[in-house]
Amino acid sequence: MAVTREQVKHLGWLSRIELSDDELARYTSQIEEVVKYLDKLDTIPLQEVKPIGRKKKFSDLRDDVSIDFKGESIRTSNRKEGFVKGPRMV
Amino acid sequence: MELFRLDAAQVAGGIRNREFSAEEYIQQLLERIEKVEPKVNAFVTVGNKEALDKARIVDKKIRDGEPAGPLAGVAVSIKDNICVKGARTTCASKMLDSYIPPYDATVVRRLIEAGAIIIGKANLDEFAMGSTTEFSRDGPTRNPWDINRVPGGSSGGSAASVASLECAVSLGSDTGGSVRCPASFCSVVGLKPTYGSVSRYGLISYANSLEQVGPIGRTVADVAAVMNAIGGVDENDHTTIGPKPHYACDGRMDKPLRVGLVKQFVQGADPEVTKIIYSAFYTLARQDCKCDEVSLPSVEYALASYYTIAMAEASSNLARYDNIRYGFDMSPEGYEWNAYFAKARSNFGDEVKRRIIVGSYMLSSGYYGKYYLKAQQVRSILRNELKSLFKQHDVLIGPTMPILPFKIGEKVDDPLKMYLVDIDTVVANLAGTPAVSVPAGFAVNLPVGLQIMADEFQEQIMIDAACLFESAANMRRSPDL
Repeated sequence: MAVTREQVKHLGWLSRIELSDDELARYTSQIEEVVKYLDKLDTIPLQEVKPIGRKKKFSDLRDDVSIDFKGESIRTSNRKEGFVKGPRMV
Repeated sequence: MELFRLDAAQVAGGIRNREFSAEEYIQQLLERIEKVEPKVNAFVTVGNKEALDKARIVDKKIRDGEPAGPLAGVAVSIKDNICVKGARTTCASKMLDSYIPPYDATVVRRLIEAGAIIIGKANLDEFAMGSTTEFSRDGPTRNPWDINRVPGGSSGGSAASVASLECAVSLGSDTGGSVRCPASFCSVVGLKPTYGSVSRYGLISYANSLEQVGPIGRTVADVAAVMNAIGGVDENDHTTIGPKPHYACDGRMDKPLRVGLVKQFVQGADPEVTKIIYSAFYTLARQDCKCDEVSLPSVEYALASYYTIAMAEASSNLARYDNIRYGFDMSPEGYEWNAYFAKARSNFGDEVKRRIIVGSYMLSSGYYGKYYLKAQQVRSILRNELKSLFKQHDVLIGPTMPILPFKIGEKVDDPLKMYLVDIDTVVANLAGTPAVSVPAGFAVNLPVGLQIMADEFQEQIMIDAACLFESAANMRRSPDL
């Protein structure tokens, strides 16, 4: 399938990755080539195949208890009054 | 005595019997690292002081007659996408620039409990995405057999550090061949375990349904010993299953091994590689193995299936990196959140960005049935084909890599060409089965690896085959550096 520069730009936005003009130019042709190769999958008829199942039940999960890792696990200098500072939401 | 040349079994034995101390051994390795690192660049971080401190603790235990563990004093490098408490773990990415894990991955904790000493964090392709270790923020790792060539990847630092005698063993991770590919290119042994036999807790996720942590060493016995230390159920990884392993490399086999050479694996390979693989096939036949050629027709779709699943999982796994809690220094002041994330995340490297974007494409509504569902279907078909072959065969063999180690930079701007070299390794990840790469020989002074595959949880028979081949072929060498 053909992949356009606009599509890559949009996918970049969906993935929250800002792309430069140079990246858009390079990635569009590279991604098009990759997608063309993956199109191979469409040549096989879709049939009912049993998915590979897991042997354990989801009910066998461990208890959800918090572990005290001790010490600082967040490394950022962007802080205010003891909180981690992020970008504004609106 | 050049202690850095010793394999893990010799090191543990020598330290236990007080022929030399762990401190002397680690000191020699640190000198070795200083000497060869400028050429090889296998490490992202080397923990000199920590390693020496740990060595002294091992020595004290030995002096006091306390148990020091089966891997007492053995130096191990850890791929930099596996968490080591207190040690920077960057995935060779700017996006994890300042990440210092507050906990050990289960595999790391188990290695430490077995007495091993972590000597450093090994280089990799950013977030383990690549087959050459060129996509690293810390620069490419070089192949110790020819420093102008790639060491394979993505665990290139792990394999190169073991081949260059900078440590005895290493932990890598294998999503589509990332342990076996560099093991093959660097002429060492690399094992990808059955999916679920080794915990992924503390392995930074790339494609969860495919990846496993796996050991790299200079002998099959060393790799088996590391498997014994790291394997078994972990309550922190719900996909783990099976008892704690006790693999042995003692050459005891009740009946002749049934070996199948997968013809699709040799058909597309470089003729130099094919020649060596056929010679390996005859070597096994001379060891009384029952050898024949077999067909695995769905291999044709394996790569497309693998890359679809890997990129789809990557795009959702890497959505978590927002640069707020750990990353590089970039003030959020004045940014709206979408703009901040998009700006910060533009600092992923080329290959990671491409994979996230292709993954988002594959998962877009309207394309899901065309790619992802079909890819899962191929996975089941491939698994059924393998299951039926394993009814008649103990192991399947072929080349680990279809080509010889190539020049650095040769494929770096051509993603598809790069992906095609994974054709022989992705099969085991899709099917969840174990596979090991063992040195098979050299073509124009460049290493070729033999891949041995077995049915799920049949690591012992795979190790038997690998040991048998290792001693018959006698291909263990170290590069001049």
